[in-house]
Amino acid sequence: MQEEKLLISLAKSGDKAALTELVKLYESTIYNFAFKICRDKEKAENIMQETFYSMIKSLNQFEGDSKLSTWLYRIVSNHCLMGARKLKSSNFVSLDEIEDDENNVKELAVDWDSIPFKSTENDELKKILDDSIKKLHPDYRVVFLLRDVEGLSTEETANILELTVPAVKSRLHRARAFLRNDINEAFK
Amino acid sequence: MKENEIKCKDVVNHICESLGEDLNSAQCIAIKKHLGECKNCASYFKTVEMTIDFYKKYNVELPEDAHDKLLKSLGLNT
Repeated sequence: MQEEKLLISLAKSGDKAALTELVKLYESTIYNFAFKICRDKEKAENIMQETFYSMIKSLNQFEGDSKLSTWLYRIVSNHCLMGARKLKSSNFVSLDEIEDDENNVKELAVDWDSIPFKSTENDELKKILDDSIKKLHPDYRVVFLLRDVEGLSTEETANILELTVPAVKSRLHRARAFLRNDINEAFK
Repeated sequence: MKENEIKCKDVVNHICESLGEDLNSAQCIAIKKHLGECKNCASYFKTVEMTIDFYKKYNVELPEDAHDKLLKSLGLNT
């Protein structure tokens, strides 16, 4: 963290080597996060580039009161959500279907421990995971990814997405339930 | 037993707190009773955890040419 602060300070003063180090420090995280939202490698690459352009352009405005990673997650999320708003909502499932949790819990026919392709290196599982998360509206997808996959706190997620804490909790609950149920269906 | 091992009571308390329930409320006591008896809930909880774990482990590697292209487009040395 100290090293990061030093790099930011040097980069602000125009040190290109420090800026390169900052980019190298976060490029893989940003590329992965963009891919996880878009599920498309080309789009992920473009968003990664746009994110670092934005970072360089506004680095002098970065106060350092939050982590640089949080700031970058916000830029990626904004880029992805702006793109998603151009898509029709009919491309995604309605999460009103999640309301009936009682049935979802009772419908437990599949024993996940007996699924032979549980490794995420397996292409069959990757396809199931891609197909399921693509059905989820990006507004929900991004909450699930920031909280559960990237491990940010509810407060950090709320801050990045400019949502209230209860809204983050509600979207997270629905996203988790939808993904779990959709994967359960695919395992049948 | 591990020092930081979570106890059933902690789980129930967490769930009740998330729901905004008083820990001694009738609702919270009913949840506690149900969780102790319900295999479906235990299984549901486990499969939600597995879902999260699948997505956590599903990562992609940044292609070398994407890295080079990025630094070049930003005017930085590779």
